[in-house]
Amino acid sequence: MRIHDSHRRYRTNTPVTADPRVALAGGLALLAAAIAVVMLQSPLVLAGTNVVRPVNVTLGSVPGAGSACQTGETLPAGTTVIAVSLETTAGPRVAVTALSGGSVIAHGESASGWIGKVVSIPVAPLKRTVRNVTICVSFAGANELMLFLGVRRPTRNPARSDVGVLPGRLSIEYLRPGSSSWWSLALSVARRMGLGRALAGTWIVLLVAALMATSIVIASWLTLRES
Amino acid sequence: MRALRRVPTAAWLCVLVACLNAIAWSIITPPFEVPDEQGHFAYVEELARLHRLPSSGTQEYASDEQTAIDDVESWRINLQPLQHALASRAQQQKLESDMASTAASSSAGVGAAGVAATEPPLYYALQTIPYELGASGGVLYQLALMRLLSALMAGVTVLFTFLFVRELLPSTPRAWTLAGLAVAFGPLLGFISGGVNPESMLCAVSAAVFYCLARGFRRALTPRLALATGALTAAGLLTKLNFVGLVPGVLLGLALLAMRSSRTLGARRAARALVPALALAAAPVCAYAVINMLSNHHTLGIVSGTLASSAGHRSPLGEASYIWQLYLPRLPGMHTDFPDISPTRNLWFNGLVGDYGFEDTFFPRWVDNLAVIPAFAIVTLSLREAYMNRSALRRRLGELGVLLAMAAGLLILIGASSYLSFPAEAAAFPEPRYLLPLTPLFAAVLALAARGAGRRWGASAGALIVVLFIAHDLFSQLQVIARYYG
Repeated sequence: MRIHDSHRRYRTNTPVTADPRVALAGGLALLAAAIAVVMLQSPLVLAGTNVVRPVNVTLGSVPGAGSACQTGETLPAGTTVIAVSLETTAGPRVAVTALSGGSVIAHGESASGWIGKVVSIPVAPLKRTVRNVTICVSFAGANELMLFLGVRRPTRNPARSDVGVLPGRLSIEYLRPGSSSWWSLALSVARRMGLGRALAGTWIVLLVAALMATSIVIASWLTLRES
Repeated sequence: MRALRRVPTAAWLCVLVACLNAIAWSIITPPFEVPDEQGHFAYVEELARLHRLPSSGTQEYASDEQTAIDDVESWRINLQPLQHALASRAQQQKLESDMASTAASSSAGVGAAGVAATEPPLYYALQTIPYELGASGGVLYQLALMRLLSALMAGVTVLFTFLFVRELLPSTPRAWTLAGLAVAFGPLLGFISGGVNPESMLCAVSAAVFYCLARGFRRALTPRLALATGALTAAGLLTKLNFVGLVPGVLLGLALLAMRSSRTLGARRAARALVPALALAAAPVCAYAVINMLSNHHTLGIVSGTLASSAGHRSPLGEASYIWQLYLPRLPGMHTDFPDISPTRNLWFNGLVGDYGFEDTFFPRWVDNLAVIPAFAIVTLSLREAYMNRSALRRRLGELGVLLAMAAGLLILIGASSYLSFPAEAAAFPEPRYLLPLTPLFAAVLALAARGAGRRWGASAGALIVVLFIAHDLFSQLQVIARYYG
């Protein structure tokens, strides 16, 4: 009888269907774990900046390839990213070099393909803060005008580019990993989310969570029902 | 109503998910941090207050809107990814007090509509309803209500995407739901539909047009369906100028369907279905042209201006080469327009993985690299399915051609617009959000991928694709939260 059964199953030619519940449950569990791991990370925080608000303006532009250097910068200890204000629509690789007393103390290069008004360039962190640093950026391979952005004002140490002395200083920000994880920052992030809107209050975060949780429950149920 | 009753429950649930997701996005994204939201809001404001279309494209907004923009400090946050949203109770109190006083004041006046000034008015006209409803609460209340209307449009997009896939793959109900859910969780659709931006409605109208054409190819072009397609085409042209890119494909589709109908119903009946549809589709363009001619403007407004600039802008071959390279690898003999980047990968793929805020919020590069793996798997599975069913595909070449013509028309339009700024700007318009009108085609690829996994693994692959999009959505929201509130 058993032989007959297995024979019949073979003959019907119906493939065994993998259980979609396993895929769904496994996928959602993996997602929850990934979110938990990401929340254990620390965000990058501002270690230093020369940016003076209110707003960056165009100090100059170069077509395709160019460079600019700015003296009098302070490179904070632990900096892992130097963010320079350049503007483009299809950014080329940008190299940044930090020089102190003529020696290179940090160097990094961004990937190409960035867009917007800020390019973030990873660098190896230093153990101590170094003052009077010269920051140089250089790029090649852009097929458009690259704009240098910064604060236009008279200064003793203006940025200098291939096209001459710029009428101000390039905006540069220095980032390092913070000491707090996203988990420990969750409450302050939630409080901040509750500001600057019509219906203010931290409760708004719970509303977002409820909306997304409901969506996921509906989607999961529907996926299994239709499988 | 009867047609609505025939829509499967699964479709309505997908619609609900899309709306909930877009509402979540509307809360997460701070006011005026969706691309050009200030201008879109100002357009609605002028339409509601003066009952006229905006005439100025400057960025001098009405005083109440400008106060809100100043108080939420958009000028500090836009395009500055290291700048976060408001952080103190004092800032919130100032915002609330200013909102209360500007809502009570009757002297806010009107301003210009910024970059939105050249857009057609249909979306903005609809947005005057929530604008008026929220008038007593001030600009931020109005903005929140207007965002909710956009969120509803995400639901409409998903509804028609579901129905489109149902027409394409009628024998696989599982694929309809998968496509609907994947689109409902699409973070870019959620982000755009969570803001005040006519692209939310453009997506909805485009999805409806895709559905009508697919229905026509599967069944027949009835006069009612032709009229609906014509009306939707008119609505698309009145929603956003980008819809112009889809029009050649829509016309091709209607022509093919009419030819097919003429074989079975006779030429006269086919023409009776087609002519009113074409007249309806062309009506807004004709009206617009007449208004412009009477007011001594370019016949087709900004479109005429763009065509004139395009004609005077270097060689057609150079333009064709540029548009090709914007999407595909450069061919031998072409001038190198993008020397250091791959637009397909850097601008389009990475942008679809994550491009939020004012094009200032992205994932780290390793996430873009990781995303290549599931994208490759999905494309491979869908190609496998297409290959396995190549004989069926051959029978539907006309339909396939129409869908490709619609996609190509939009891509060429984006490329041509971008070329106008080239080489001062290498890629002025390649923003992934401009691809959102092609959402039904993306959904079809996903549905094919689930089928391509085979009968044994198809259901699991479908479940994994849904989880993939949930994950993409949640991480995108977290990325935006980190950028503005971290």
